[in-house]
Amino acid sequence: MYGGDEVSAIVVDLGSHTCKAGYAGEDAPKAVFPSVIGAVEGVEAMDMDVDSTKANSEDSKTESEKEKGKRKLYVGSQALSYRRDHMEVLSPIKDGIVSDWDLVDNIWEHAFRSCLMIDPKEHPMLLAEPPLNSQQQREKAAELMFEKYKVPALFMAKNPVLTSFATGRATSLVVDCGGGSTTISPVHDGYVLQKAVVSSPLGGEFLTDCLLKSLESKGIKIKPRYSFKRKEIRAGEFQVEDVDIPDTTESYKLFCQRMIVGDIKDSICRVPDTPYDDKSYSNIPTTSYELPDGQTLEIGADRFKVPDVMFNPSIVQTIPGMEKYADMIPSVRGLPHMVMESINKCDVDIRRELYSSILLAGGTSSMQQLKERLEKDLVEESPHSARVKVLASGNTTERRFSVWIGGSILASLGSFQQMWFSKSEYEEHGASYIQRKCP
Amino acid sequence: MGGTDAKDILGLPKTPLSLTQEKKSRPQKESHRKPDGISREVYALTGGVAPLMPSIDVNQLKRRPPADEKVAWQWLPFTSSARKDDLKLYHWVRVVNNVPPTGDYSFAKYNKSVDILKYTDEEYENHLTDPVWTKEETDQLFEFCQNFDLRFVVIADRFPVSRTVEELKDRYYSVNRALLRARAQSPADVANHPLMKEPYDITRDRERKRALSVLLSQSRHQEKKDAEILAEAKRITEMRLAARRAEEPVVSANENAGLDKADGVVPGSSVSPSSNSQLPATAVAPSTLTMADYASTLASLRMLHVYLRTYGLEQMVQAASSAVGLRTIKRVEQTLQDLGVNLKPKVPTKTVCDEHLELRKEILTLLNLQKQLQYKESEGSSHREGSFAAMPDTPKDRVFAADPFSFGAERPIKKEQKRKGPGRQADTPSPAHKRPRKMKASDL
Repeated sequence: MYGGDEVSAIVVDLGSHTCKAGYAGEDAPKAVFPSVIGAVEGVEAMDMDVDSTKANSEDSKTESEKEKGKRKLYVGSQALSYRRDHMEVLSPIKDGIVSDWDLVDNIWEHAFRSCLMIDPKEHPMLLAEPPLNSQQQREKAAELMFEKYKVPALFMAKNPVLTSFATGRATSLVVDCGGGSTTISPVHDGYVLQKAVVSSPLGGEFLTDCLLKSLESKGIKIKPRYSFKRKEIRAGEFQVEDVDIPDTTESYKLFCQRMIVGDIKDSICRVPDTPYDDKSYSNIPTTSYELPDGQTLEIGADRFKVPDVMFNPSIVQTIPGMEKYADMIPSVRGLPHMVMESINKCDVDIRRELYSSILLAGGTSSMQQLKERLEKDLVEESPHSARVKVLASGNTTERRFSVWIGGSILASLGSFQQMWFSKSEYEEHGASYIQRKCP
Repeated sequence: MGGTDAKDILGLPKTPLSLTQEKKSRPQKESHRKPDGISREVYALTGGVAPLMPSIDVNQLKRRPPADEKVAWQWLPFTSSARKDDLKLYHWVRVVNNVPPTGDYSFAKYNKSVDILKYTDEEYENHLTDPVWTKEETDQLFEFCQNFDLRFVVIADRFPVSRTVEELKDRYYSVNRALLRARAQSPADVANHPLMKEPYDITRDRERKRALSVLLSQSRHQEKKDAEILAEAKRITEMRLAARRAEEPVVSANENAGLDKADGVVPGSSVSPSSNSQLPATAVAPSTLTMADYASTLASLRMLHVYLRTYGLEQMVQAASSAVGLRTIKRVEQTLQDLGVNLKPKVPTKTVCDEHLELRKEILTLLNLQKQLQYKESEGSSHREGSFAAMPDTPKDRVFAADPFSFGAERPIKKEQKRKGPGRQADTPSPAHKRPRKMKASDL
């Protein structure tokens, strides 16, 4: 490689929906799993491996009076897809910032030891962080990394910068449509312009919830996979039987339902070319989707209604069951408006360049026709003298992992190796030095 | 060699001639055939002929490293002079003969930064104080300039006190200028420094940015409206020009006649003098616009220099009938056929073409007059039935001839208003137009 020099760094991107981890220098992360954790609280955890836990629980019984109670945490898609009694599904990230460092710790642990099977002591770490991360959060992350995992060197790079590098640009406007939120951030010469970052809570998970509520209001019950059994009555014919499992938590049920509806959303939702209205889409032909329990869904107008929420948030009010979001909606604007807002907050000189390099990133951005619709709306709203160009890599994998890929590129560059925040610097200057080292 | 293979594939018979040729060419090719380093087939891909300029040194391709060297790749630690601490990172290194390479990290040379002047407190007190800027802010500004390599957009973004990019630049450059002046031995030394020669002018920068933001804030709707208004204005000016041209039909006729005598090669132009002389005579001319059309058709024909007479005739006919509707054209043609005249003259000599065009025009005039007469009669009858004052029966030709002049007078007044199209201009003038009349008839 030209400017490349691999030092076997590890790149970790903890998103609100999935966590991606892998070696720098590769073109896709090796470890991709949901960034939620199943937690079984309390001492009397009912598990498969009863013996080991019994031993543990006896030990911890004495401690349980002091602590909240030892909870067993299950990380990773394999562990999560097995249903356990009383297992709550918890997410460490709320509103884009980390709320529970213990969970984050567990996720990292799982990524390093179980998925990548490395010893963190030997590898410099590159972490991806949200653009509006506070100083406190960064210091906590640095502390955790250096104290617990004893990494030799660390760097924290902002998500939009990494996406920008993944496409080979130093200046661009990054539209990151992720699971938990949508963030629009301008990057100039490799630095995020923090005052111009615009964020909205409408992300992929929000759209999944909209679709779920919409289907429920039509009377379709989405049965999680664990809640039914298929028995073969005759050759080739199956009958579905409901299995009653009282001890499953609501959060787990919701988690499973979301997985199914998320798949529906990925496969059949499309962004409409013009703003959605009920009348014109009332006669649209329906597409069928087969649920895991054999039910066939016919989805018509919802196919277009749900993705249009990103462009026209007020549609949410027409979806029954989403009323609790109704009060937050007026402050949220559609995607093209957010882009314009962000660009207008920037210095005049760079606006033209930003208009001509708008990058799409994130899982939700691979929804069909999103790029075309965004480009069309922007061309209408934007000034004539600015040439609007929305860029997105054609490959879905690349869009989903663009942050990780950018990190992989950055960490394997020769001229980057002087920028690491090393352990000795941490010991000398403290965690607050990270602000200076990782601007 | 390649030829026979191709023929084999295609299944063509090999002629004896080609075979002998092959035999002859083969010994020749023998000498070329064996370049070292590449196999025969690969060489043949180039067409069997060596390239004029060898792109790769053929000898290098099969070169093996000298046998006495022992090369291994090892995972070794390295340090970089670009780092201030002594972090040891590991990478793969090509080790020759068990001697690891020495020297600095090869990428350390890319660690370049901008030289930022540093000032002492004394210097600050003496030269650099400013009413708007405190010392802490100035210090912080300089620190940021060092960290961010003078990227003022980023500095402005991260600066704790919100200041604009222009203010930051102004402060930075004026501090630098003051420092240079203060530190210089004599004013002449620094006069050539780029900072002194082209000082940063904050007002100009602000003005420039303001203009740029105005330019960029015009949305596409506004652009479209502006474009529309400009197009309207253009159309209006064109109308005025056309009308002005119509005002001088005699002048143009003379001009054309003159030109015609001078330019014998262009037969089509001769049509115009005769037609022009006819036009003022006819009471209701197919509107004044056709004068402009004639002029333009003539111009376009003249551009061609040489063309068929029938083509020229077609153009003339089109020009004549451009102002009238399709139905009228059909009626003209119908009349022609009734009279037993071909739609296109069989023998298109000059006189024949002239006459043909004349005929068409006269038919048009006739049809026009007939229409006018019809309307008049219908109005007359409706007037008689109703009980109201009859409209002054102004002779249309006089009014019509007067109109071109009035157009010119009214147009400057009307120019301010945005008009939809040429048709609407005739709102107030021109009783010759049937629409206002009809409205009046139905009103009352």
